[in-house]
Parts: sequence; C-alpha cells; structure tokens
Amino acid sequence: MATTNVEPAGLVSELGLDKQNRASLGRLLGHGSVGRAEEGEDGRMHATIRIPPDELAWEPAILALPHSGDLELEIVNDDENTHCALLPSNGDQQFLWLPNFSRGTASLKLNGPGYYWFSSPIGNDEGRGLTGAIVVMGESPPEARLDRPPQPRP
Amino acid sequence: MTEYIEAGHAVDHGSLSGGAGSAPPVAQDVTYERLLQARSEPQNWLTYYGAYDGKRFSPLDQINTENVNRLTPAWVFQTGAAGMHAGPSTYAFEAAPIVVDGVMFLSGWDGWIWALDAKTGQELWRYKHAIPYDTSLCCGNVNRGVAVAKGKVFAVTLNAHVIALDAETGTQVWDRAYGDVRAGESATLAPLVVKDLVVVGSAGGEFGVRGHLDAFDMESGERVWRTYTVPKPGEPGAETWPQDGEAWARGGANTWVTGTFDPELNLMYWGTGNPAPDFDGGVREGDNLYTDSVIAVNPDNGQIEWHYQYNPHDLWDYDSTMEHILFEQDGRKLLGHFNKNGYFFVLDRTNGELVRVAPFVDRITWGEIDANGRITPKVYPEKEGEPVHFWPGPAGGKEWTHAAYSPRTQLFYVPVQDVGAEVTLRRREFRESIPYWGAGVVVDSTDMAGSVSAFDPSTGEEVWRWHREVPMCASVLATAGDLVFAGEPTGEFNALDARTGEHLWHFQTGCGHHSSPTTYSVDGRQYIAVPVGWGAWVEGFLPGLLGAPHGDALFVFALPEEA
Repeated sequence: MATTNVEPAGLVSELGLDKQNRASLGRLLGHGSVGRAEEGEDGRMHATIRIPPDELAWEPAILALPHSGDLELEIVNDDENTHCALLPSNGDQQFLWLPNFSRGTASLKLNGPGYYWFSSPIGNDEGRGLTGAIVVMGESPPEARLDRPPQPRP
Repeated sequence: MTEYIEAGHAVDHGSLSGGAGSAPPVAQDVTYERLLQARSEPQNWLTYYGAYDGKRFSPLDQINTENVNRLTPAWVFQTGAAGMHAGPSTYAFEAAPIVVDGVMFLSGWDGWIWALDAKTGQELWRYKHAIPYDTSLCCGNVNRGVAVAKGKVFAVTLNAHVIALDAETGTQVWDRAYGDVRAGESATLAPLVVKDLVVVGSAGGEFGVRGHLDAFDMESGERVWRTYTVPKPGEPGAETWPQDGEAWARGGANTWVTGTFDPELNLMYWGTGNPAPDFDGGVREGDNLYTDSVIAVNPDNGQIEWHYQYNPHDLWDYDSTMEHILFEQDGRKLLGHFNKNGYFFVLDRTNGELVRVAPFVDRITWGEIDANGRITPKVYPEKEGEPVHFWPGPAGGKEWTHAAYSPRTQLFYVPVQDVGAEVTLRRREFRESIPYWGAGVVVDSTDMAGSVSAFDPSTGEEVWRWHREVPMCASVLATAGDLVFAGEPTGEFNALDARTGEHLWHFQTGCGHHSSPTTYSVDGRQYIAVPVGWGAWVEGFLPGLLGAPHGDALFVFALPEEA
C-alpha cells in the first residue's frame, strides 16, 4: 500500500476525491494523508491503517479502495494510549480494541461506491481527529444503472 | 523494535450488546397464502400496511374506546448510534413494525434492521448495512420497513440495494444493487412481497433520474422484471414528453412508497413521483406520463395495465406516491387516495375511472379540480425569479404518511398538513446527482394548521375533524376497538374515537412522530407499537419544528396486566 504525507490536498485532487460524482459522490469534509488499498490475487483488497504517537489521527486518514468488495485491514496502534476502531461493513459494524502498541485485523465488506466513516469511538477520539474515511471508487454495477443516454456530470 | 500486543480480529459491534443473537423460526411459514389472508391473523401485522389492501386497519379490539384511557407503555426499544452516519441531521424513524407470531421485524435509518421480542422488547438480532455517507438523499436518512416471507426478511438500503436476510439470524442471504447512486438514486420504501417476487421502487426524482419498479425472485435474488415509469421515445406515453432532447431521461416519477395489491384483479397499485425538474415545466412540455399518477401493474411481468394521472404537467411538486387504499362500495371495487394537491380521489380500480374527487384540506390555491377531474391551474411558478405562493406547499395536503380505512365505520382517516410555500423559478442546467428542482422554495413556518379528518368515501364529505395547530405528519392506524391512533410532531401519541373524533388518550413520547404505528397481540395481550424519531424532510412540511428533539425510540403500549 502506498501512502504519503506530501501535499495531501494535491493527492486528493489527483485521485479525484474532491469532485462531486467522481471518486467520491460528495466532497470530503476534511482530509489528512491518503492511502490506497492493494488488490490481491484472490480479489480481496488489503491495507494497513495506523495511529501514530501523539497525533490522534489515522494514517492514512483517507483509504481509497479501487472498487467495492472485501477488504482485509491491518490496524496498528503506535500511540502510547489506548484507542479502538469502529469500522463500516455489511452485516454489522466491526469493533476492535487497540491497547497501546497493539495490532489487529478486520474483515470488511463494502458493496457500493461512495465514502464511509471509521473512527475510534472512545473518549472524544473522534472529535480530536481519529475519524477517517474509506472511499470506494468506481461506478454502480451495470445492472443497477438507468437505461438512458450518458448524462452530464459536475 | 516495538513489541506489539496482539489485538485480535475485529468483532461485530452487536456482539457487545445484550442481544440474544437469534430469533425463533416464526417467518419460515409465512407464505403467499398467509399474506393473502393477513387480516385473518389479527395477532400479527404481516405486511407494510397490515394487509395487501392498504387499509391500515386491525381487527383487534381489546384496546377500545372504553379502556384506552388506561393505555400505558409496555416496553421501549432505544437505538442510538455509534460513530458518524449518513444524514445525521436528517435521520428519522419512519418504519412500520412487522410482527410475526411474537417476533417484531423493524428497520431504522442508515441501514439498521432488527428482530425484537414483541412481548418484551429484547433485541434478538441486528443487521447493519454500510451506507455511504455521501448518498444523495432528497428527503432524509430514513427507511419505512421490511417485508417478511418464507424465512427471510427483505429490505432496501439507502444506497439502492435490495437485500434478503435470514429471519432467524439476521445474516445476509442475497444482495442486489438496483439503483445507481452515482445518478442520485436511493431507496427508502418497504418492499412488497407478491407471490414469489419482492417488488421495490426507487427514490431520487429530485436528482433527475428515471423512475422504475423492479421485481426480484424471492429465493435467488435474480431480477425478474423492471418497469420504467417514464417512457423512452417510442414507448406508450412518450408523446407526453418533448420529442427532442432528454427530458424523458431525467423525468423522475419514482415509486418510492409501497404499493397495494388486489389478488383477484392481479393488479398492484403504485403511486408515482413528481416530474423533474420539480418546478420548471418549461423544459418538459406535455403531461409528462407517468408522473404524479397511479399505475396499475401486473405483478407477473411489470406491465402497466392502466393509469390515472392526478397532476398532469405538475408545477407544484405534487408527487402521488402515497398509498392507494382498496375498498368496496355498492358492489364496486374502488381505491381511495389523498393526493398532495389537497384532493381526495376515489377511482374504480378495475379500470382507473374517476368516481369522485373532493378537497380534504381547507386552503387550496394552486388550482381547482372539478367533479369530472378537470384541472384548472391558477398559481404556479412561471417567470424566472418571480416568487409565487400557493397552498398546499410542496409537502402537500398530506405527505407520504398514510391514511387508514375502517370497514366498521366505512370512513377514511387522513393526517392533514395545511401548509403553504413560496416558490421562485430558478432554472438550472441538469447535472447528474445534483438536485434538479428548478426553483427556490421557502415553506411557511408560522401560518399553518393540521388535523386528523374523517371522510365518507360515498360522498367525499368530511364527517369529523380533530384540529391541531401544527400539521399532522405521521400515519394513522384504525382498529376494531373503534380507535384511530395518530402521532403529533410535538411528541404526543393520541387515540381518537373513530366514530366521532373525540380525543380519548395521549402520551408524550419526547419527540415528533413521522412513522407508521402498527398493532398486534402476543399471548392474548394487544400492543400498539409506534417508532418515534423526528427528522427527514422537516424543512418541507414543518420548518417551525426543525430544531425539535430528534429521538430514536420505539414505544410499545398495552393495557395494564391484571394483578
């Protein structure tokens, strides 16, 4: 997985995350670093997110998936405090405790384009920055599209 | 090198609750034959409206006009939310609880579905569909309920999927995308199960989509048919759209409220939404079929057998998706419909012939409809930038919330919204997924009223009225106890005498009502269930209560148990 802290706004733009109806249906409210999930030979996507020391932020804060499907996520807490993860997935939200210097995994299923929030729902971690987005790129499946000519987009 | 603690694998959030994890197999034997005879099982509420005819009437009479003043909460289910969710400012609890032999199946906003013990309120299982935060939603983060049959629970999701869950465990059995979120489509209705099919409609007319009905095989999840509600060039009705350009492709007409069904005629009755753009008729000259209509649809193949258009070339946002209640009178098979335009329609449901039309709200200034159904528009947005004011406003004399019909009194009961609005034509170019209204809208926030009103369909006359200072924005429920239940935007849940309108009981639930109460019984005890949660498109029908408590609870009432 490739991540960067360099010119996040530029990378968001490069990925098309800041335009209506492109990678994201809406404009992200805020963004930090951006990462991309990698697709394995089995079709499942893989990525790692971390909590760096004293930053109260997810690294990356925006995780872009090339398409909808299954994501195997490694979650690492490098911070010197306990946090947790609440993650979106079909069936139920997924929850993981993250004591200081811990690492765990989650299996997520996201079946549509758009962006989804994840966070650390303890204390006010969410308000202080431990809120991130998983962005599912791509279009709705062909069978779900309308029978009409292509329409202008924003 | 850092030594990491092994945090393990993430778990279902619901496993960290008091939920039991499974429900008894009550849904296994819910067959089409039982759904046809749903009213013969008064202990259950098997379909969205209680039965295919849409009457929202229960034969239960343990709670009646003599004892309703003793009604008290039996249990409360509270939902809440963890983490950020889609439409946080516009979520509302709008579902109609389904009950099968002591188990309640319920949906909430943002992809929530629960099975509850209908006697105690204990959570049996939960399902959470992940909803993209940026889904296009004209009217809030809501869901109106589920359908249950043959061991499965069927629901739609905000991102326009239809899903089937195992009714015992809540685990997903199949999942099909049937709407294009990139185009602004979404889904909020309760599915309708007919024979072996799950029939669903889409939402998104405010974003300039092309409405459709879809039917899926209950077992496999495979799509059996799709019927568009706006014809493309060459199809019947296409002559009512401009012959050049793509107005038809952006025409709206979404079927976003559950239909009713007459098994003898083998016809479903679905209301269709307004044309897009809502208020700018200049780009869509013509009647714009099948917008603002009732369409009678063959459930086997999706064919439209007949239609009746309530608002040809709509310029007021008077979508006509609300229920079509099936009833009989003088040997005729009829349907009753309270339209947003303020008129109560009675049609012959065999062919769509107009039988009667009468106003059901005091203030109607947009135009007139005579006894033959002829429409004379009077006030409508016409010139760019010039405001016009009309009643009812775009939220209508009645919104999506449902009327009821009691076979005992032979009266219709309708929640009335008496609210106007100022609309200013502001033409804009179409862009996919962007709101496509063609106007600015300011809804009256002080000069308003509401009521629960009883109407005689044989005359179209109002029989009684329970007047309120604010619009009534929740479905009503009629029972054989000669009661009508109605929730208010200010939080009160009320019982009225179905014969006279006398106010008999109320309970303050703590937030406004915008849902569909249902009733059922377990072990011989009758319960009244009402989801309360105030949000959604409040700015459209009651901006004066935009700041009211949101709420997210299901209240269930019963008479006190004998000592």
